[in-house]
Amino acid sequence: MSRHVHKSLVFLFLRRMRMPLVVLIAAYAIATVGFTLIPGVDDQGNPWRMSFFEAFYVVSYTGSTIGFGEVPYPFSQGQRLWTMVSIYLTVIAWLFSIGSIVSLMQDPAYTRALRRARLAWKVRNLNQPFYLVCGYGDTGRMLTRALTDRGHQVIVVEQNQEKVEALEVVEFLTPVIAFCMNANLPDNLIEAGLRSRWCAGVIAVTGEGHVNLKVAISATLLNHKVTVYASADTRNDADNMRSFDTDYVINPVDEYVRRLDLAIDKPDLFRLYHWLNSGPGARLTHATAIPRGKWIVCGYSRVGRAVYQLLQHRGMNVTVIHHDPEQAGCPPGTVRGRGTQAEELDAAGIADAVGIVAATSDDADNLSILITARALNSELFHVVLENGLSSHALFRAAEPQFLGQPSMVVAGTILSRISSGLVEPFIALLLQQDNDTGRNALARFLRHQSNHPPEFSSGRVSNRRSPALARALSAGQRITVGNLLADPSDWRQRLHLEVVMIRRQKDDILFPADDLPLEMGDRLLLAGRDGEAQRLQAVLENDQRLEYLLTGKDRQQGLFWQWLERRSQG
Amino acid sequence: MNMSKVVFGFFVLLAVTLNFGFFLGDIDNPEHHDVYELFAALVVSLIATVLKFGERSQMGAILLASSLVVNLHLLAAALVWTISVHVIEVGLTPRVMASIVSLSGGALLANLVSLVLLTLDTAGLSRK
Repeated sequence: MSRHVHKSLVFLFLRRMRMPLVVLIAAYAIATVGFTLIPGVDDQGNPWRMSFFEAFYVVSYTGSTIGFGEVPYPFSQGQRLWTMVSIYLTVIAWLFSIGSIVSLMQDPAYTRALRRARLAWKVRNLNQPFYLVCGYGDTGRMLTRALTDRGHQVIVVEQNQEKVEALEVVEFLTPVIAFCMNANLPDNLIEAGLRSRWCAGVIAVTGEGHVNLKVAISATLLNHKVTVYASADTRNDADNMRSFDTDYVINPVDEYVRRLDLAIDKPDLFRLYHWLNSGPGARLTHATAIPRGKWIVCGYSRVGRAVYQLLQHRGMNVTVIHHDPEQAGCPPGTVRGRGTQAEELDAAGIADAVGIVAATSDDADNLSILITARALNSELFHVVLENGLSSHALFRAAEPQFLGQPSMVVAGTILSRISSGLVEPFIALLLQQDNDTGRNALARFLRHQSNHPPEFSSGRVSNRRSPALARALSAGQRITVGNLLADPSDWRQRLHLEVVMIRRQKDDILFPADDLPLEMGDRLLLAGRDGEAQRLQAVLENDQRLEYLLTGKDRQQGLFWQWLERRSQG
Repeated sequence: MNMSKVVFGFFVLLAVTLNFGFFLGDIDNPEHHDVYELFAALVVSLIATVLKFGERSQMGAILLASSLVVNLHLLAAALVWTISVHVIEVGLTPRVMASIVSLSGGALLANLVSLVLLTLDTAGLSRK
C-alpha cells in the first residue's frame, strides 16, 4: 500500500511535468534551429552559418541567462535579432516549468501525499520494536509520553490534523512518527506498520468505541503476533473485543467502579492498585475510607449508573440527580436537575448525606457540583469524574477525595500491562487478597520509593535469559529470592527492587518470601525503582557477579589476580 | 476523438518518419543524410518521451522504455557527429557517417517497436 502511494507520487509528478517539459524542449529546438539558419560573417569577412553544435552552445548559455557574449565570431544583425527572440523564448519556457514545479510542491494534496510516503518509508526502515498508538487524545498523549520515556519507539495514528500538529512540536525522548489518517481503515493501519515484524503492540485509544473495535479486529486479523490493547466504552464493545481474543480490553467505567469498589472495602489495597495502575506520573493517594450512609449521585451517565449500582449493591441509600430522569431510566425518587444548584442538592437531601458523586459528562458542571455541595455540607466525601484533562489544574485545586480520570485510568492500566505479561495475572491475584496483604505490600514498596510508582519488569530463570543463574542452579547451588535482591556492588545492601510474583509451572506465588529457593523455569515479576531491574539482569548473566552476591567475595578475573588472591589467603 | 491521443499519435508517428528519412540512403555517404533531419528526429523523439511520462499501464511502460532507447541512440549519433566534426575535426569520413547512420538505424528499430505497440493498443481499444 505504502509503496503504491510512493509510486503514484512519482507518476503524478511526471504527468504534471509533461507540459512544461514539452514547452522547454520545443523552445530550445526552435532557438537552436534558428541560429543554424541565420547567416553570419566570420573573422575574415566570409559568409558563415553556425553548426548545430555552435547553435546549441549559444542557446544553452543564453537560455540559462549566463551570456558569454557573441562566440565564436561577432554576430550579424540577423543573428542578434534571433538571439533576442531565443532569450525571451527560453527564459519564459524556464519560468513556466519552474513555476509548475513550485506550484506542484505547494499543492496541499501533493505535499500530504509526499509526507505520508516519507513517513511510510520511515516506518519500513524501523529496526526496533515499536508500539502503534491509535488516537492521540488525552489517553494517547499520556501513553505516547510514557512509552517514549521508557525508550520505546511509538507510531501515532490520529485523524485530527490539529492534534497531529500539536504532537509534532512536542519533544520526545525517542522520535515519534505521527500519521494524520483515519485508524478505522485497515489499509491505513498497514501503512502505519501494523504488519511490520517490529510491531510489538497496537493500542486502540481513539475517542470512539467503534473505531477502537475496528482497530482491535484489524490488528488481530492482520498480525497474529501483535499484542492488542483496546479501550472499550461500553460493556457490549468490551465483550465483543474479548470474543475475538483481544489481549487486553480496558473499559474505563468498569475500571473506575472496580477502584471505587476496592476503596470501600480494602482502602490500602485500593491505594496500591491505584498507584500501580495510573501511569508513571501517579502519586500515592492518602488513606481514605469511603463512608457508609446516604449518597448522592449527580448525572446518570454510564459512570453514574455504574456507581449507583455499586453503592446500592453495597447497601447504601443513594439518591440520583439527573436533568432528564424519564429518558435516562433513572431509579424512582430521582431529583430533576443538574446538581449544580443548591435547591436541587437540598431536595436530594444533602444535609444528611455522607458523600456525593459528580459524574455528569460536563467537567464544569462536575466542578460546580463539588463546590456547591461543599458549601452546603463541609463533611461530604467527594467523588468526581474528570472527563477531559484540559481542566486538570482546576480539579487538582478543588481537592476531591476521589478523582476519576477515564483517560488516566485507561493509559495507566495499559502501561502496567505493557511492562510484562505477568502483570495481568499479578493484578488479578492481588485483587483477591485482603486489605492486610495490600497494606504489607504497600509498606514493602514504600521502603524503596516514596511517591513515584514502581516499575514492573520480568525475568526468567533459564539458560538463555539468565545463564549464570542457570549454571549455578544446575550445579546444585541453593539460590533464594533474597540472594537475587542483594546489591551487586555491595552485597550487604538490598536492591530497591521486589520480586512480587513467581510463576512456577502453573502456580503463581504472590510476594514470595526471601528464603524461597529459585527453580529452573521460574518466571519472575519484579517491581521497584526505575533501572534497578537492569542491575539485576547484569548479575544473572555474569558468573563472577553472581558468586559475589552469593558469597560476598569478589572472585578476581585473570590468572595474575587469582594467583595474587591465593597468595594473600596464604 | 480525444485531442491528447491525436497529439500523442502524431509525435510517435513523426518520430518514426523523421528517423526513417534520416536513415534512408547510402550508409557512408554524408550527402544522403541531413543534419536537420537528425536534429528534428531527436527533438520529436524527446517530446514523444515526455508525452509518455506518467503512463501507468503496462503498455505505457513499454512505450516509454522504447522511447528512451530511441533517445539514447539518437543522442549517441548526434554526439558522434559533433565530436568528429567539431572536437577532433576529422570531418564526416565514410567511417564516421556509417557509425552515425547505424546508430540511427538502431533508433529506427526501437521507434518501430513503439509504433507497433501503439497500433496494437489502438486495435485492442477499438475491439472493446
